[in-house]
Amino acid sequence: MNRTFLSTASSWRLTLAIVFALLGTRLSIASDRDPRHDFFENKIRPLLVQHCYECHGEGESEAGLQLDSRPGWEVGGDSGAAIVPGDADASLLIDAVRYTEDVIPGMPPDSRLSDDDVALLTKWVNEGAFDPRTQASSPESERATFSVSQRRAEHWSWQPIQNPDLPVVNQTDWPRKSLDHFIAKKLDDAGIVPAEDADDLVWLRRVCFDLTGLPPSLDQIQHFRDLLRTFESRQRAREQVVDELLDSPSFGEKWARHWMDLVRYAETFGHEFDYEIPYAHEYRDYLIRAFNLDVPYDQMIREHVAGDLLERPRRHETESFNESVIATGYWHLHEATHAPTDVLQNEADIAANQIDVFSKTFMGLTVACARCHDHKFDAISTADYYGLFSYLQSSRRIERPLDVHGRGAQIATQAQAIRRDFAERIGVATSDDRSKDAESQWVAPAGTRYIGFEDPELPNGWIVAGTSFGLVPDSPEARLSAGSHKHLPGTIDSSWYGEGAAGTLQSPTFEITSDKIHLRVRSDANQMIRVVIDNFQLAPANALLFRGTLLNGKQTDTKGQWQWKTLGGDLRKYIGQRAYLELIDRGPGSIAVDEIWFAGDGPPTRRAGDETSDSAANDDQAKSAEEALKAACGQWPAPRMVLAMAEGSAIQTPVYIRGSHTNQGDPVPQRNLEALGGRPRTRLELADEIASASNPLTTRVYVNRIWQKLFGKGIVESVDDFGPQGTRPSHPDLLDHLATTFSQDGWSTKRLLRRLVLSRTYGQSVVAHPRNSRQLLSTADPTNRLLHRMTLRRLPAESIRDAILHTAGTLSSDAFGPSVPTHRTAFMSGRGARRSGPLDGHGRRSIYLAVYRNFLNPFLTTFDRPNPFGPKGRRSQSNVPAQSLALMNDPFVIQQADKLGKQLVASAESPDAVIRGLVLRVHASEPSDDQVQSLVRFHQDLVRMHNGSGEAAWKDLVHALWNMKAFTYLR
Amino acid sequence: MLQSVGSGLGIMALQSLLAPEASASTASSQNESKSGHGPHFEPKAKRVIFLYMDGGPSHVDTFDYKPMLEKFDGADPKQTIGKLAPTQFDNVGKVLASPWKFKQHGQSGAYVSDLFPHLATVVDDLAFVHSMTSEFSEHTSANYFLHTGNGLQGRPSMGAWLGYGLGTENSQLPGFVVINGGLIPPGGLDCFGSGFLPSAFQGSVFLPTGNPIANIQAHERSAQLQRKKLDFISNFDQDFLEATDFDPEIEAAISNYETAFQMQTTVPELVDLQQETQSTKRMYGIESDFKNTRTFGTQCLLARRLVERGVRFIELTCPSGNGDRWDQHNALVDGHTKNCRTVDQPIAALIKDLKQRGLFESTLVVWAGEFGRTPFAQGKNGRDHNPFGFTIWMAGGGVKGGVKVGETDPWGYRAVSNRYQIHDLHATMLHLLGVDHERSTFRFSGRDMRLTDVHGRLIEGVLA
Repeated sequence: MNRTFLSTASSWRLTLAIVFALLGTRLSIASDRDPRHDFFENKIRPLLVQHCYECHGEGESEAGLQLDSRPGWEVGGDSGAAIVPGDADASLLIDAVRYTEDVIPGMPPDSRLSDDDVALLTKWVNEGAFDPRTQASSPESERATFSVSQRRAEHWSWQPIQNPDLPVVNQTDWPRKSLDHFIAKKLDDAGIVPAEDADDLVWLRRVCFDLTGLPPSLDQIQHFRDLLRTFESRQRAREQVVDELLDSPSFGEKWARHWMDLVRYAETFGHEFDYEIPYAHEYRDYLIRAFNLDVPYDQMIREHVAGDLLERPRRHETESFNESVIATGYWHLHEATHAPTDVLQNEADIAANQIDVFSKTFMGLTVACARCHDHKFDAISTADYYGLFSYLQSSRRIERPLDVHGRGAQIATQAQAIRRDFAERIGVATSDDRSKDAESQWVAPAGTRYIGFEDPELPNGWIVAGTSFGLVPDSPEARLSAGSHKHLPGTIDSSWYGEGAAGTLQSPTFEITSDKIHLRVRSDANQMIRVVIDNFQLAPANALLFRGTLLNGKQTDTKGQWQWKTLGGDLRKYIGQRAYLELIDRGPGSIAVDEIWFAGDGPPTRRAGDETSDSAANDDQAKSAEEALKAACGQWPAPRMVLAMAEGSAIQTPVYIRGSHTNQGDPVPQRNLEALGGRPRTRLELADEIASASNPLTTRVYVNRIWQKLFGKGIVESVDDFGPQGTRPSHPDLLDHLATTFSQDGWSTKRLLRRLVLSRTYGQSVVAHPRNSRQLLSTADPTNRLLHRMTLRRLPAESIRDAILHTAGTLSSDAFGPSVPTHRTAFMSGRGARRSGPLDGHGRRSIYLAVYRNFLNPFLTTFDRPNPFGPKGRRSQSNVPAQSLALMNDPFVIQQADKLGKQLVASAESPDAVIRGLVLRVHASEPSDDQVQSLVRFHQDLVRMHNGSGEAAWKDLVHALWNMKAFTYLR
Repeated sequence: MLQSVGSGLGIMALQSLLAPEASASTASSQNESKSGHGPHFEPKAKRVIFLYMDGGPSHVDTFDYKPMLEKFDGADPKQTIGKLAPTQFDNVGKVLASPWKFKQHGQSGAYVSDLFPHLATVVDDLAFVHSMTSEFSEHTSANYFLHTGNGLQGRPSMGAWLGYGLGTENSQLPGFVVINGGLIPPGGLDCFGSGFLPSAFQGSVFLPTGNPIANIQAHERSAQLQRKKLDFISNFDQDFLEATDFDPEIEAAISNYETAFQMQTTVPELVDLQQETQSTKRMYGIESDFKNTRTFGTQCLLARRLVERGVRFIELTCPSGNGDRWDQHNALVDGHTKNCRTVDQPIAALIKDLKQRGLFESTLVVWAGEFGRTPFAQGKNGRDHNPFGFTIWMAGGGVKGGVKVGETDPWGYRAVSNRYQIHDLHATMLHLLGVDHERSTFRFSGRDMRLTDVHGRLIEGVLA
């Protein structure tokens, strides 16, 4: 017998083995040759060669497994040993050929073996898996070669950020900002002369679109001209303009949208019915405010990763609610399906997207590539991936009310004061009628009591969001009712601060052990009681496969009585899986919980005796106190909820071998990537590790993103991938210089942008300097990577639409709030279609238009607004006839042309003057006299073709201006 | 009035300007992309018609004959079939024999149920794969998987992939057209998306009506007026072109307008069936007394017209009103009867018509749903989703007619012999178009992405 087998076998298997060993011995006496040898050679080896070797032998090792030697299957592949000699049922190889697909896919993958062949293999394994092929075919496994430290040492982006000296350049008066030195140096080296400065109006149009997403208005143009005259220094005038643009509320509306591309912002979940992601727009508004306030980027990172855990969260300037926590909503903007037949797989798929968004957005890392195997190229292991997954499994999605103007806190303070005052006046003499024992009065035949709320503290691991759910103490305070229901001591009650309060209550994570969960509640209608299984969130939208696991609407109404409510139904299918309970009170009405039982059958029954009557305020003193309490607690404004993250029960996710949750490896604690330290950390500490100037990726990735938006290409072109598969920086020193100054300058996005747009590099013309020969440019800088001129760019989708509205004078200045529903065309049908919105989106900026995953705005999509599935730091830039058709024929464009045409026809000015103003308004450029003349002639022709209708002619003229490249392109 | 298209609109244009050989590189200047590669070897087919049977047709009621179901009709499937995987609706009923009769047809003797009397006449042109599998029991993920090789939203659809790889043969039409019979499948327009490929490659949704795509109808009262405006725009653009030192991007944008202008004529012409003879229309079922046959017949005829015009990838989606697509969780008899009646005659006509016009050899026709259905009932008279083994068929260019590949178990529950998955279908389709699925890649987010991910092997048995 093989020694390895003996040393690893469990005792009963050992016994079995000895039997076989003895058997073998006996047989071997009877014959020269071990019959097991013949059996192997005649029956087993041919099977393995014919059906397995193609992928698991002769140099191939799919899933790390080799079956061409005994050591091959002993060591096994990613999933461990393939064979347990003597135990076919415990052997993965047998599981595979049986095609049960419980743990690993059926093998061979193309055709199941015949029953006879499966029986042979089973017999072989059960009889000890005799195998004479003792020489390992290739001992070096694929995994052994993976080394994080080596990978880390070999790739540039893992190296510390330097603070390089400014290079010396030939033309010392060319640079205006420090960054210009780095550009000039490379141009010097290439022998290229940088382009001349762009004209003032060209620069103004460029910087207006780049900072606010809108063209300069006629007033802004005039203002800039005034500044140029006032300051006599062109740079001073430009500084003034830039500062004003950075201060404009439009700034955030432009820059938040860039960020939304990264976090795959959407307001529905996509898939079959495109269910709504609740409160998503609150996250969008958070972004706009944050960019407008120039919240330091390191702070924004902390808020995104762990805004719920910050000791001192940032508060809204005037409305004082917690801003920081809203950022965590980005985790939950993923796509999602209802009714997954494999809920753990569903959780793993969502986590993969969350990890992808997190790691690419903040660090330009493709961690998601390590889901099934160590990263093929980068210093990222599968364990790293599951370390991040642990943060997600240890966190919760929670609906959380914002405490606008601190009203909730005020109400709570008032309520507490009234209650305390009353309790002091009553004294201990008149104690409450009902003292609830810690021991329940209830009993269930086949069940256990999960929790009650007798303790003065929230039980361990329970989570409350909002000022709503309060523990009702066993004290006189409980006699005063804050709402229309009496409070019962020893319960948790969402009307403790009044019925207008909103909030969420979540239990710790537990393993489902019973078919039913019973909650003794007193509840109004329209509350939510549910059990959330493996973090599956869509049951309220569609309960298929989760029937009975939630109660809402009328189901929660107990008509003021205490009753048992039961979660059951499909729950029994999920026994053994992880879950937590969630109660949500979204405002009106309330819900209170006494105790919760896990039981296989009906709800618990009363142990003995009558229930004592509820407490009641029945004397004058109490009545007046209660009046005061009700008055204080009746002041709730309508709740404003956000989707946020909350810290749940700590869980260590095991490695899912080859990405399969049915095949689990070692658990990994919550930790950052090994290449970045990799020690166990809280989520808040993780946030700090990301938001650190010493993180080699964070600031590099961010300044590169900003750079790309202005210059068309990143210094690292693959903006979301700083790994070995990405592109290397064109100007590594510049990248580090920008990263260093950015973190030294308080991580300020606005100041970074200010440096960039006031640079000489940014101010260049799009036309190369005439002193450079074409020959030189085509060899030394054919793609303008060295920035010997400014890049010509097409306007982003949103800017095209917004500029149409802006120049038509129809752009709404309304900011924030729920999105305007998508205008749906005849080509946009399908499940989950919502009511169509207005053609012009009420004139709102494009950032305020709804993003329904299955019904994306076709106009914006045509101009490369990305599909919100994953981080997209760099949009496609297509240049296709569909864009021409959209601008030529889209009803929105026509409608806006019509509106502007009506304004123009009413003008008292001469056509000549109107045209000059119009071109300035639409193209932000001063037309030449020739151009004016040709436009005037064109206008006359149009009037004639429209039989004298000036309105129709102006409409067509405006329409033509919008279709010109001078409108859609930024030079 | 014209509407803009769904995600579809972007589509349309794209190809237009692009020369076929250079499509991808021109369409995207991004570093993520690699240029379109063109065929890797001599293609067998030049175009694809993908007949998408939305909802999942029942293989055991159509092409996969299972006498065992008759024998054990009404038995407990857990007793007879054995361990069952979780089903979408978790409402497992009894083993359910097919309500339809099966007969062998043609020289090949392929079994076809009496749901498909017309298709039965062309079985010798079809190659059945009875052992197809999917990874998903849920419509949306399975739809994305069938279309994009990935169960999540946002990957390039196979039509987009082919457009990226092979470019277009007709600058006036999109390379990837979805003829929408009325139903957009679960998952929405993303089933036809371009994912990380340039949006130019996404599927263009055509309605089988006079203005099949968004914004194709000029808003001007007269072509003369529009022409006047476009000429003026073009002239004015010359100044801007000069100001950018004749940037090729601007030149391309200017020339797009000319293409767009022409498309306003060519696209409506395409859907004008007046040019077809009465007998052709009759053959396709356009005169059928069943409305959905008329609709799908029109779609099939349009597909042929698109093929004639060199469109690379044409997908047909199902008309509405036949129950919930092919998704007969109940009322199997009613729903499948209507669905088959809808598609049977038009598809048979399409195959015959392609043959008589000499287009069959250069056109790959694929018929598939996102999964099959369970051999046991859901409730009493329906069938639930079954991704573990189902039937698809292929025909036309490079496909060996009259063969069958693979088998399910005696119940039709799991594929057990020559098991294939969707990646293999994709690999085979690309292969027939002259594309090596392992060499057709697009660099995105650190990986060389493939339609077939890291999978895919040819379904050798169907290759001629």
